[in-house]
Parts: sequence; C-alpha cells; structure tokens
Amino acid sequence: MNSDKLRPLWVALISVLLGLIAGGILMAFTGNNPVEGYIYLFKGGLMSIERIGNTLATATALILTGLSVAFAFRTGLFNIGASGQMLMGGLCATALGLSLNLPKPVLLPIVLLAAIIGGGLWGLIPGLLKARFNVHEVVATIMMNWIAFWTVNYAVPSFFKGEYLETESRNIGVNASLRVEWLTKLFNGSYINLGIFLAILSIIVIAIILNRTVLGFQLKAVGFNKDSAKYAGMNVNRNIVLSMVIAGSLSGLAGATFYLGYASNIQIGVLPSQGFDGIAVALLGANSPYGALATAIFFGILHSGKGFMNAMTSIPPEIGDTIIAIIIYFAATSLLIHKFLDKIKAFIKGARKK
Amino acid sequence: MDYVIEMVNIRKEFPGIVANDDISINLRKGEVLALLGENGAGKSTLMSILFGLYTPDRGLIKVNGSVVNITNPNDASDLGIGMVHQHFKLVHNFTITENIILGMEPKGIKIDLTDARERIVELSKKYNLNVDPDAKIENVSVGMQQRVEILKMLYRNAEILIFDEPTAVLTPQEILELMKIMRNLIDEGKSIILITHKLKEIKQVADRCTVIRRGKVIDTVDVKTSSLEIMAEKMVGRKVTFSVEKGDGIPGNEILEISNLNVYNNRKVLGVKDFSLKIRSGEIVGIAGVDGNGQTELIEAITGLRDIHSGSIILNGQDISRLSIKERSNRGISHIPEDRHKHGLVLDYSLEENLILEQVESKKFSKNGFINKISMRDHANKIISDFDVRSGMGPLTIVRSMSGGNQQKAIVGREIFQNPDLLIAVQPTRGLDVGSIEYIHKRLVEQRDSGKAVLLVSLELDEILDLSDRIAVINSGELIGVVDGDKTNENEIGLMMAGISKGDKN
Amino acid sequence: MKKIALVLVLFLSFATVAFASGNKESVSSKMKVGMVTDAGTIDDKSFNQGTWEGILKAGEDFGVTVKYLKPTGTTEADYLKEIGNLYDAGYKFIVTPGFKFETTIYQAQDKYKDAKFVLIDGTPHTPDYATFRAEKNVVSIFFAEHESGFLAGVATALQLKEGSVGFIGGMEIPPVQKFNWGFQQGIAYANSNKGTKVMLKSENVIYQGTFSEVAAGQQLAAQMFDKGVTAIFCAAGGVGVGAINEAKSRAAAGKNVWIVGVDVDQYADGVYEGGKSVILTSAMKKIGTAAYDMIDAELKGNFPGGETLVFNAVNDGVGLPVKNPNLSSDVIKTVDAVFAELKKGSIKVSDEQGNLIK
Repeated sequence: MNSDKLRPLWVALISVLLGLIAGGILMAFTGNNPVEGYIYLFKGGLMSIERIGNTLATATALILTGLSVAFAFRTGLFNIGASGQMLMGGLCATALGLSLNLPKPVLLPIVLLAAIIGGGLWGLIPGLLKARFNVHEVVATIMMNWIAFWTVNYAVPSFFKGEYLETESRNIGVNASLRVEWLTKLFNGSYINLGIFLAILSIIVIAIILNRTVLGFQLKAVGFNKDSAKYAGMNVNRNIVLSMVIAGSLSGLAGATFYLGYASNIQIGVLPSQGFDGIAVALLGANSPYGALATAIFFGILHSGKGFMNAMTSIPPEIGDTIIAIIIYFAATSLLIHKFLDKIKAFIKGARKK
Repeated sequence: MDYVIEMVNIRKEFPGIVANDDISINLRKGEVLALLGENGAGKSTLMSILFGLYTPDRGLIKVNGSVVNITNPNDASDLGIGMVHQHFKLVHNFTITENIILGMEPKGIKIDLTDARERIVELSKKYNLNVDPDAKIENVSVGMQQRVEILKMLYRNAEILIFDEPTAVLTPQEILELMKIMRNLIDEGKSIILITHKLKEIKQVADRCTVIRRGKVIDTVDVKTSSLEIMAEKMVGRKVTFSVEKGDGIPGNEILEISNLNVYNNRKVLGVKDFSLKIRSGEIVGIAGVDGNGQTELIEAITGLRDIHSGSIILNGQDISRLSIKERSNRGISHIPEDRHKHGLVLDYSLEENLILEQVESKKFSKNGFINKISMRDHANKIISDFDVRSGMGPLTIVRSMSGGNQQKAIVGREIFQNPDLLIAVQPTRGLDVGSIEYIHKRLVEQRDSGKAVLLVSLELDEILDLSDRIAVINSGELIGVVDGDKTNENEIGLMMAGISKGDKN
Repeated sequence: MKKIALVLVLFLSFATVAFASGNKESVSSKMKVGMVTDAGTIDDKSFNQGTWEGILKAGEDFGVTVKYLKPTGTTEADYLKEIGNLYDAGYKFIVTPGFKFETTIYQAQDKYKDAKFVLIDGTPHTPDYATFRAEKNVVSIFFAEHESGFLAGVATALQLKEGSVGFIGGMEIPPVQKFNWGFQQGIAYANSNKGTKVMLKSENVIYQGTFSEVAAGQQLAAQMFDKGVTAIFCAAGGVGVGAINEAKSRAAAGKNVWIVGVDVDQYADGVYEGGKSVILTSAMKKIGTAAYDMIDAELKGNFPGGETLVFNAVNDGVGLPVKNPNLSSDVIKTVDAVFAELKKGSIKVSDEQGNLIK
C-alpha cells in the first residue's frame, strides 16, 4: 500500500530523470558537457536570492494553471482552456486596475475578484455546453482560448491602449500591482509578488476541497463515474458546471498574478504558454494539488535557469528551449512509465514464483 | 481418432491473474461437452483461445489428432470451429441471408444471393431450424436470431460448435427449442461445447461435463450418472443448498403504487406501456421477463433515473413521479442496481467512501460541508461486519480490487442500511458465486420479514420463483399478468414471458 | 530502478570525461558582447537578424566574444532576466533591438552600472512615460525610416513608371508608420519631378496588426495583386514573408509583380525559380551597422554614453542596398542623385502623417 501511495512520486521522478537524460544527450550532441549544462541550468534558477525570487515568480502562474488543469482532471474534465481563462482573468483584472482609482487594500481584492470572475466565466461556458448539449469540453475550451485571444486583441487597443503602443495596454498603477516593495526588496529586486502566496493558498484550499469536503467528494465521484454519481442522487450537470467554473477561476487568478504581478500590463497577440504548460504540470504532479506545486516550481527553475545556461555554455537558445521542452515532454509521459512499472512488477512477481 | 478437439495443458495469464492454469479438455466426435464453472472461472478465456481470440502462454491444441496453431478466428473457422457468442453479432437491417453470407460474399460487382439463399433453405430444413431467409433481423425474435447465428456456422461448414451461455437471453420455451436443435446437430454428426453455469441445462443436453474452478480443471464427469448436487459442489467447492428457506409473508399496507405508467426507452419508443402494479409492505414482488422487455426502463422510472411520459408512481401515498433521485431516496427508496460497476459503485473510491455515496450530504456524515470521517469509518465498519464484506484493507480498500461478490454484498449492505420502505433489487446476484447468492437471498427475505416492500427484478427465473411472493410478468413493456409465487410454475411463467397471458390459454 | 541508476551514472561519467577538456579559448578576449532578442527568432530577416549580423561581424573583425539570448516571454521581467543572465556570465556590453526594451533598459542602467547598453529604436523611460532618462552607460539609437521609405518610393516609381502600388504594414507603430509616410512622399516626388504616373490608392495601404501572421500577409498581397497592384512595400516582419511568397508564386507564373523589402536587403528572400527575385529593392535600416559602430566605439574608448543617435541619410544609416539587380542603371543613377540631395538637405522628408494616407 505504501509503495502504491508513493508511486506517483516515483513515476514523476523517473519521468524527470528520463527528461534530463534526453536533454543531456541533446546537449552532448551540440558539443556541450551535459553535467556542466545542468549545473548552470540549476544555478541560473537558484544561485542567488534574486534568482530564487524570479524562479518563484515564473512558477506562480504555472502553479495556478497546473492546479486548474489538475482539479478539472480530478473531476473528469480535460481543461485545455487554461490559457484563455488566464487571458480573460488578466484582461478583467487589468481593465479594473486601469479604470479604478482606489487605495491598494481596496483595489487589490477587487482586481483579484475580477480575474477570478473573468476566468470563471471562461470556464462556465464550456461547462454549460458540456452539461446541456454534451459538447466535449476539449473542443469548447480550445474555442474559448481563441475567443479570449481575439477579445483581448480587440479590447486592449480600443479601450486600454498604451500611450504610444497599440499592442499592449497602459501599465497598471502601483495600487493595482501585486508587486510590493518589501517582497521585491527581500528578494533583491526580483519579480516575485503576492501572487505566490495566492497560489500556495489556492493549493491548500483546493486540496482541502478535494479531500475533505462533500463538494470534493461529489465532484470526484462525477469524475470517476458519472453514472454512479447520478444513481447516488448527485446533480451531475451542476457538478460539471461547477467544476469548470472553479478550474476557470484558478486560471483566471493565474492571469492576475501574471499580468498584475510578473508583468504590469497586458499584451495582445499572445496566448499565454502557462496555460498549456499547466497540462504538463498537472500530469507530472499526478493531478494532486501539492504535486502541481512542486512540479510548477521545478518548471520555474527550468524556465528561469535556461538563460543562464545559454549564457555560460555554447548551447544556443533554441536548443535550450528544446531541452526544456524535452524535459517537459518526458514529464508528460508519466502514463507510459506507469505501464512500465506495472510490467516490472509483474515480472518480479513472476520471477519470485519460479 | 476419438477426439475432435484436444486442448492440452493450456495456461493463460493476465496481469495479476492466472485465467487458465494447466487446463486440459477434450471433445469426442458427436457429443455435447459442457464446460461448467462460475463467472470468472476461466471458461470464456479457454474458449477464446480455442477460437483464436487469445494465444495461450503455454500448451497445445489438437484438432482431429494433429497439432494446430490458431492465431485468429479465421484460422478457427478454417478448421471447422464455430462459435455462437453470448451477444449476437448481426446487422439489424440486413436480411437473414445477407447476415449469413456477410464476410464471405460471392465475388463480383453485383452480389448474387440466389445460390446462398438456396443453401440456407436447405440447411434450415436439414437441421429443423425453421428460418425464413428473407426476414430482416430487426423483425425476428431473439430465439430466431440465435438460430441465425447457428446457421452462420453451419453455412461455413463448422463441425465443432461452441455455445457461450446460449440460454441467457431465451424464454424457457425457447430454451427447450434450442436443446432440440442441439440434439439435431449431434445427430447429424456435429460436436458441441456448451459453456454454462446452469446445471439444469447440462443435465438436459450434455453427455459429459468438465468442471472448472479458479482456472483449473476440477473434474470431468459423465452427466447421466452424476447428480446436480455433486456437479454444483465441484463447481463451488463446497456443499450447496438450492432452495431458499422462507416462511409465509404477512403483507401490510401499500407502499408503492404504479398506475398507467408510460416510459420512453433510449430508442424513443415506449419501453413501458400502461403499466400498473402495487407492492405492499412485507412482500417480495418479482418481475419476470426476458432481457430487454422494459424492466430497465421501469426501474429507472421508479428510482428517478429516467423521466416518465405519463402515469403516476405513488410512494406511501405521495406522488413521487416528478421528484429527483435524491428526493426519492430520502423518501425511502433504496436501489440495488443492475450493473454494479456502472451504477452501483465508484470503483476508484475506497469502500468506506462508496458506502456513503448516496448519503454524504446527510447530517450524519457531514457538517458544514466537511465530511465527518469518523462517522464514515464507523458506518463502513458496521456494514462490513454485518454483511461479511471481505476485502484487503477493510474500509480503506479501493473497491476496484474487491471481488464481485464482496462488491455486491457492500452494495446490498449499503442499501439495506438506509432502512428503506421500498427495496428495489435488480439482478442482485448476477455473476456471483453460489455462496454469495445464498447470502443475498437470505438478506432479501429478511427485509421482507421485517416489513419492507421488496421489488425484485431478475432474468434468472429460478431466482424469481424461489424468492417472490407475487410475480409480475412483463413482455414488451406491458404487464402480462401477476401470479402468486407458490401457485405457479416455470411453464406458466415462461408462456407469459413470451407474451401469452393466462387468459389467452383458455 | 537499479538499472536506471546505473545507466545514469555511466552516462554522466561518460559525459564528464568527454567534455572535461572543454573549449574555453574565446574567454581570453577582452570584451564580451551580448544581445537579447525581441519577440521572434534570431533569423527573422528583420530586427533580430540585422542586429545580430552586425554583432557577428564585430566579433570577427575585433575578436570579441558574442552571444545572444532568447527570452521566454515578452514582458519586462523576461527581458531583464536575460540581461541579468548575460551580465552574470560576464557579457557587459549588451545590445537590445526594439522599443519593447525601453522600460527594461531604464531599470538595467541602474542595476548594472558597470555594463553598457545599446538600445535600438528606443529610449529608456519609466512605464508611465513620466521620466525619460539615459545614464552614461546607455546609447539610444533611432533611424530615419521615412528617408529610407522615401528612397524606396522614388526607386519604385522610377522603375515602374506607371501603374498602382500598395503598402502592407505590421503593427501601426511609429517606425512602421514612418516607412509608410516616407514611401508615399517618395512616390509623389517621382510623379511630380520625374514624370512617372504611379498611383497609391488609400485602399491599398493596410496595417495587418501583427508581425507574425504569414498567412494573412499572403492573403492581403493576393487581394492587392488581384486589384491590379504591381508592387507592394512590406514593412511587416512575418506578414511580409507571406506577401513575398505570394509574389514569388505569381512571378513564377509569369505575372509582373514586385515586393519592396524592408529593414535589411531582402533580395535573397525573393528568389524564385530561374534565379530571379521578386524584391525590387529594400528600404534598409542599417541596424547591423549601428550595432557594429557602437562596439567599435566602445573598443576605441569613445562610447557615446547617454546620447541619442539618429541614423539617417546623412550618416548612411538608412538607404537602399548596394546592389539592386532589379533596378535599371538609369533608375539607380537617378536614385543616387536623390540620395545625395537628401544628404545635402535640399530634399526634406517629413516624419509626420500630415495629409498622407494613414
């Protein structure tokens, strides 16, 4: 039993290891020493307090999108729409942040709520489509991504245009920013912001919902077996909608942490990659909230250490990107590794019998 | 050459389970060999190996004395082996002739069916099958469809015929017909392997019987000289009592009253037509019928899983026909569902979680939206000890890893523990071993004796006859009649199941 | 598990041995020049590539170590992180192409006081545009795109003599707009002074809105060509690539269509079967030259820190390519004369819209 419980951890570690080996082979192919490369990669993410801050800042949105995808997974839904939800959350938060002139303690809760509502709405629509018309959420959420993309493309230049730039909004004021001076100073001027606390808080809240509450019990039951949930008198459609709304809200919050914390405005023409990386985060984290937290921080190290690795070695940035992508790709193959472990287990059993 | 088929030391392993452990069987020319065993004993795996659907890990197969290598159903077919599956593989809007030649159509741009049709008529006559070659499958009875499957094999010159649980879908009369056909086939020199867990059928038709238990051959016996009891004992591994001990019930007031109920089925036609039935406390009412005659729709309408079209369902004097599933359950309906994996359980949940599936929202198990894990555990322990649910880790066992019998006991325990006024049990013993069946029957009777109303739906006529105080027979969604359990017999019910009501006979 | 561990150990030890004698010869050179790319790839046929080519040339000519980094995103945080990476790795002369680096450099100039920055197409300021400030370690470089566009417009009109031309822009931002306005003035100049009859209708002046939608560029070009346009000036990055593709397939089918390139000499990108190119000429911004010159200046000890430099016709910072195989020698002669007048100042090109189209 114990080994079964720890299994996702093993699978994750093996996936990461395979990814690192594959990435290392690529480094070797480009004539670099993989050990050196990895040392610089991790140094780049961790070697100074500022870099640690930046790693956490990079991880913040990933934690939330990963949590969003993982939560949806746990309730039987495949949320590909984290990107669009994040974008809408960011748009709503930025819009209010730019329009309202209020003191920080009042404005921050408002913009965060706006992000949650914006993302939640972007989850609600696919949820309703699934519950009412049985439209598959994968299709619906992908469509919603593009609707969000073009909405931002239209809304930002029309209403929140930067003073000289059509392609991004004006910068939000200090009062709407998640960056706070004491934190920036504590981490030597890094981009870490209050978002990291929101992300960790979300992890804890979602973990409690999933593991301890009636709501979580019912949402998971619907995820595992819709028919038996219905048989047991649960409102399956309501649960599907609710699930998507919660997942959307988490991604929306990710948008707030990204556009009001890591960045300070919203740019058009970009579908945030954190939404898609969130899928890998959820997979590698075995769809557990704490797994998502750990994985997102790991990805944060990779993303923010990559540049230093490139700077210190002769690995070209494109190969650097490929190496990161390979590591993430292998991380997402954890299903295969599950099967592989099953085979090994069966083999060992067979061998013992003989 | 004595044996047409010999399977020697066959071993087949699936992850975590040895389905066939050194099994050897042989089939003589011109005999019916029964393969007897409980669900999951390994019969179907063995036959799938013979038919080329699986390859064995070890062992060899001889046909007419020479070793053969069967890697797919076409190989089997070429060797003269044919199989009638439990679920027919027919195209519904094709004619019988078209279905039979499917896969071996005459070459050419336009398919000429004249020759094929002639041969089918000829075969039908020879084996007394009475098949109309031009009828469409959707218009013929289930028994006829089975005969089409048999014809399909004969058309392909099969010498060895495998029947996989062929009687599950038939009325008693159709079963008798099938037995006759099987004898005809034997008389014409064919050999038959019959897979079944029904002892009576073996007694009726088989020459020898090989008993399989947990992947191993226990014994092969001569059917004529062996008693039912001995075969059952070999199948289960211990002595078995066949009859349910049950005294007379004391029916009280009406619990459930169904009036003029009409319900649509998935094909958007009426699956339940103008159905009326009353159930009183302290009685078991059994619903008998051939599979697919509206039982599912009826039960789903009562429990709220399916909307009704018209009519009323009254529980304890109140109309519940428009209430939600949850509401109905709160008002005293418990439901042991037909398919425990699809409806009854969340297989990836632990046992204790499954045992509060319907009640998690109640005050007993939650407070302020948080689950009360202590009372959940207590509840599970009570059911586990009361219903003898066995599992690896007690309340924490993931239900998927439990045996079917224990899963079913858990469901029965959960539903009975809700202390319902009306207990609906649909196929409560399907696929279970004899021991579990006895146990569950006992608990159902106990419920009746404690004054509950029990509605039992089963495709096993024996189960209905053994348990029911009254039996309602359903055919094509209509109530054919209601008879007293102790004043009827298999024959009468069988005719009613075929749609002939009592009045029609006279 | 053991097996995997073993494989890993073997792999790592192999790797360590194989690379223990790694090549670090270049570390000895005196100066390390880094570049952070803007959105898009290093081979974008435009800003990134132009800048990098200048840096590479400086690397060869002066023996300095060069390196570029590609940020993960396009936010200030992403840019600043890469600058930090270059700085920590010893690259203390950093070139950043594009106005998007303005706020980043504003911060970097204080954070990395002993580093030097070259900011192309921008000047350091705070996010709210309240404060503009360039420290002694920053040089801002601007280009006179309107002059480059003007020369391209004159050359196009002279070569075509008559017919209709069009303009496709990427985003509607100052550098792109200035190209457009200059191009229009060039056409007008040729029409009124050199007797050409070339039209530029307002319906044929379009900003696509991105620098990346290749397919949209192809579509826009196809529409214009269908309406009888014979040459399109594209200042649109990837959108321009789409237009070039459309022109190539039409030219290969024998149609008389042309593209006027932008930023760098795009002649080679327009080559289709038979070795001919659809690129009539290119309105160049000599970004590479600018980067090269700044490195040169730093090595000579006269880095113009704190200044804002404008590269224009006078200092040869803009212009047409040296070789223009698709222009007749007469045209080239005339354009050279116009260029000389620009240098003298006897021709003035406006960098404002005035009553021009868009």
